[in-house]
Amino acid sequence: MYNSDVEMNESSLREVERRTYMAYHQDGLLDIFVGVYVLLFGLGILLMTTIEFSTWFVIPAIFPAVMMPIWISVKKRITMPRIGYVKFGYRGANKMVAIFLGLTVAGLGAFMLFGLGAFMGQGWALTLRNLIIPNGMIIVGILAAAISSLFAYTMGLKRLYAYGILVLTSFLTGHFTTIPFEYVLLAIGLVIIINGFVLLTRFIRKYPLAPGDETNAEESL
Amino acid sequence: MIHEPTRLMIMTQLYVVESADFIFLQHQLQMTPGNLSSHLSKLEEAGYVEIVKEFIERKPHTALKLTKKGHEAYKEYQQNLKQVFSDSPT
Repeated sequence: MYNSDVEMNESSLREVERRTYMAYHQDGLLDIFVGVYVLLFGLGILLMTTIEFSTWFVIPAIFPAVMMPIWISVKKRITMPRIGYVKFGYRGANKMVAIFLGLTVAGLGAFMLFGLGAFMGQGWALTLRNLIIPNGMIIVGILAAAISSLFAYTMGLKRLYAYGILVLTSFLTGHFTTIPFEYVLLAIGLVIIINGFVLLTRFIRKYPLAPGDETNAEESL
Repeated sequence: MIHEPTRLMIMTQLYVVESADFIFLQHQLQMTPGNLSSHLSKLEEAGYVEIVKEFIERKPHTALKLTKKGHEAYKEYQQNLKQVFSDSPT
């Protein structure tokens, strides 16, 4: 139960919002999808290095688009019948969309600026290129961890911090050691997927389906 | 109307989302269906909560959301409470 005496200020509202997000994502589906995404990256790199399947990057690129309908469908079948349906408004989902769009625009802007600078032979762009290319793994790892942390902070899902650290570790391992990076990525993907299934099993046990509950509840209104 | 703790919890939960259904509120607030239903009816009578009957994939579904009046009442209550605390002697 909430403590109604402290619910009125903004930080308490954020706490209620955070609890709502946590309730909605306690089913582990987010973890499974994130794990599959990481696994696909690892698999793609493995295919590229072993059989020179150079179009591997198409797989992770199209994954979010393929994932969305599956995600919505699974949520409707597993999560909603158990804990109900919630639609996040401007304080929730739109905030996530804004962050995602902001990151995309900022990333594209930086890429275009850098590309244009490099094309025009600007000194700063060449220096930046010389700095980025040898440290690409570290930079991508930091970016992945930063994005994951941003979502963790916004959604209040602390395990996303851990996933960000795991992914960063894999990129650092790839940069500093001779351990094949793709295998580390595959292992991390598997760990995240297993965690997702553990959460999903717990969720299903905690909230067993009780047919007719929703109808009865609604009829009582 | 909002000052009652259970109704304040319902209003707070609905304030942070666009809409939620009965089961979601019941789980989040850990209330019995009867208790929740009774408070929702009072909030609906006051015009603070709107009960929207809709179909999701051809199945009937009841969504609950705060009305504009409900939003305003909640904000007003929030400000009044802040005022009370800021005016009270420390």
